[in-house]
Amino acid sequence: MPTYQLSVNGQSRSIAADAEMPLLWVLRDTLELRGTKFGCGRGVCGACTVLVDGTATRSCVTTVDAVGTKRITTIEGLARAGTLHPVQAAWIEEDVPQCGYCQAGQILTAVALLASHPQPSDEEIRETMSNNLCRCGTYLRIRRAVRRAARGGAAPSRAGGAR
Amino acid sequence: MTRTMRVDRRSFLKVSAGAAGGLLVGFYVHRDARADTAAFRPNGYVRIDADGTVTLWSKNPDMGQGIKTSLAMMIAEELDVDWQAVRVEQAQLNREWYGGQGAGGSDGTPSDGPLGQRAGAVARAMLMAAAAKRWSVEASSCETARGVVHHRATGRSARYGELAAEAAAIAVPREVPPLKDPRRHTILGTRVGGVDVPKIVVGEPIFGLDARMPGMLYAVIEKCPVHGGRPVHVDAAAALAVPGVTRVVTIDGHRNPTWLKPGVAVVAGSTWAALKGREALRVTWDEGAGRDESSGSLSARFRELAATPGKVLGDQGDVVGAFDAARTKVDAVYEAPFLAHATLEPQNCVAHVHDGRCDILGPLQMPTSGAQVVAAILDIPRESVSVRMTRIGGGFGRRLTSDYAAEAAFVSRAVGAPVQVVWSREDDLRHDYYRPAGLHHVRAGLDAGGRLSVWHHHLVNVSRNRYRLGDTPPESTEIYGLMAPPFADPKKQFDNDFQPTLIPHCRLEYTEASTSVPTGALRAPSHNFNAFVIESILDELAHEGGVDPVALRLSYLGAAADFPYEGDNQAPYRPERLKRVLTLAAEKAGWGTPLPKGRGRGIAAHFTFGSYAAEVAEVSVDAQKRLRVHRVVAVIDVGRPVNPLNLEAQTEGGIIDGLSAAMFGEITIERGRTVQSSFEDYRLLRNRDAPEVEVHIVPGTEHPTGFGEIALPPLAPAVANAIFAASGIRVRRLPLAASGFRVSP
Repeated sequence: MPTYQLSVNGQSRSIAADAEMPLLWVLRDTLELRGTKFGCGRGVCGACTVLVDGTATRSCVTTVDAVGTKRITTIEGLARAGTLHPVQAAWIEEDVPQCGYCQAGQILTAVALLASHPQPSDEEIRETMSNNLCRCGTYLRIRRAVRRAARGGAAPSRAGGAR
Repeated sequence: MTRTMRVDRRSFLKVSAGAAGGLLVGFYVHRDARADTAAFRPNGYVRIDADGTVTLWSKNPDMGQGIKTSLAMMIAEELDVDWQAVRVEQAQLNREWYGGQGAGGSDGTPSDGPLGQRAGAVARAMLMAAAAKRWSVEASSCETARGVVHHRATGRSARYGELAAEAAAIAVPREVPPLKDPRRHTILGTRVGGVDVPKIVVGEPIFGLDARMPGMLYAVIEKCPVHGGRPVHVDAAAALAVPGVTRVVTIDGHRNPTWLKPGVAVVAGSTWAALKGREALRVTWDEGAGRDESSGSLSARFRELAATPGKVLGDQGDVVGAFDAARTKVDAVYEAPFLAHATLEPQNCVAHVHDGRCDILGPLQMPTSGAQVVAAILDIPRESVSVRMTRIGGGFGRRLTSDYAAEAAFVSRAVGAPVQVVWSREDDLRHDYYRPAGLHHVRAGLDAGGRLSVWHHHLVNVSRNRYRLGDTPPESTEIYGLMAPPFADPKKQFDNDFQPTLIPHCRLEYTEASTSVPTGALRAPSHNFNAFVIESILDELAHEGGVDPVALRLSYLGAAADFPYEGDNQAPYRPERLKRVLTLAAEKAGWGTPLPKGRGRGIAAHFTFGSYAAEVAEVSVDAQKRLRVHRVVAVIDVGRPVNPLNLEAQTEGGIIDGLSAAMFGEITIERGRTVQSSFEDYRLLRNRDAPEVEVHIVPGTEHPTGFGEIALPPLAPAVANAIFAASGIRVRRLPLAASGFRVSP
């Protein structure tokens, strides 16, 4: 079984795995980073989205071999020194999740969008966020949270309030 | 109607709770013997530590409906603590402390909420008694605010944490103290974010599939592709040759297929190895009697059965004569497809069978009945099954059955180690317990005055109650909303959906069709299609008869009346509350104001689970049947809202779920097999197609009712009625995609 030196959330992790093993299962079962979710295994739903060199990537259809030494960021690696990423903070402010299962993928898709388009149009938000399914139907709050994060988190929202 | 005919999911929950013993009186007398003596834990809901930490437990699992937050709010309000200082934990299964546990029937807020409120009130009374004793004053002269007991007369005060040890020595009061006047509420009615949200956004491993036990193995299970089939020969050699695969286990299944279906489990040291091992597995199946079934054959069978009268469930007046005499008539057939639940977290569970016991750790929606099923499968006492509930990645009714826990227990016993069973998406869509397919034949009419005078409704479908081998008649879970109140006695308990006794001439018939296709409850069971039929027919009648659709509904709902409604904590059903949400929805949506060509509005309303909703959809349809749902205005009446922030979320979610199912939702059967296998062919709505949703909450004063389901039923008819208004096309069959409608490419 080949060994790989992966770069995950800024750390170098050495693992042994089948070359064809999807990154998803390496993250979840081998590295115990279980914030990345299994939804369909076919790259359709987006629950398994991680960043590979900053690009939103479906880890369930990306083999560990294809990743090589590229930088992987998972939901566990977004916050820095205990400070939430603005997208995570916006997700809390807008109280986006219902069941929450798809939200790691949604958040990473939003992070990649804002990295390439810091001020996306509503159309760009809807189109990009259409890459990720949410079975509970949190789409409207997702739109609001992405807009909030793009504005630096300060803008008024329908969903503020007690926490 | 007899009592047994009315047993639905909610009644089942109540019976479970009652059978579990002394729920209402016994729940607060059990102290946690293991607890630190400095901590105050008067019951299973509240713990106060000497350092002031307040921990509250939600007895029911959370699958996105927000009950973990809502129940804690209800406890915290009566305990009178600062919400910011509260920590909320998920309770484990514990009969002594909680009675029955589970989530379903939108019942958590109305029925379990009051238990938490009483638990909070009892704890507060004991803290006041402890302070009174310390100060040698009357407890009645003490008061509380934000986690502090005050004695104003002497200017003394003590924080709850300081009183914890003394409160632990106070006798539990025999009677539950009076609850707060709602006008003094400081937590209920405020906008509170979900307590697990901060964990979710950083990826904490809190879901079922994230659960681990030391030494745990992983299992995936191959089932016969034909529904109802079973394995007869297993060639495991190639599967066992896959690196990491350790065992192949044949599962015989249980007589009741909602408990445990037959299959073959491949057990391995990782999920990936188990999945690869299963690909190499060779199984010969006995496909059983279901292999000749198809959606086409079922649909033909429904039509054949609809041609002859069904079992008459209720009959009043003269439906035949009244239909003949009606000035406006609709004679229409509506068809419902099978639907999958498609929870985004596939089914999964960890079990460890050891020393005659079984420990379950997973996304159990119904831990009480789940433990019973696991005990029965393993043939051990129910008390020997422990259940820890994780957060659940979506329910929608799928996890009312605990088959995945039974699978994990069965395989764990066979291999002698903790095992996590993991379903793939394909497993989930192909082996679901589907929302039943069926056909409704309705003949309805308006009299010369434009009033609803006759309703003759014949439902033909496959019964989820038959499939689960329930002891209630098959029709009771399918048409129950249409049956009540009992025709003979309108003062008896009112149930759901529709008020047939308000119509002078009414007959309800049911015919069961048999199938091998597994069926079960889906969010707002029965209501999720019955409402489509009823509210569409009303719209057909209104347009046919030249009556405004809102006015027609208001007229048939009649004068103010109280109908006793099921459940101990339920307010009576009041048609005027339904009329109020209808009127408000019409007003907020600009009902009757002109729209451009190609645009239309549709309205629909529904009552169930004690809650009321009306929705107006505004859509446009072009010549190529491209559909755009621009806006949905929803008015919701759930009594006094517990958490408006969550109520809005559930309403938005119910509307998007409803639109997703109305647009795409259809499971089809060929050669006894489910055709769909992933989200490519079982489509869900995506972000770009979600309409703007405007939620208006009626400021009710009644005891709060649940809202995880009520927003869904009115959505499909509101959209279909809007499609008619926009295009003149009447939709009598879902999904819309099957009639050529499409959303974005």
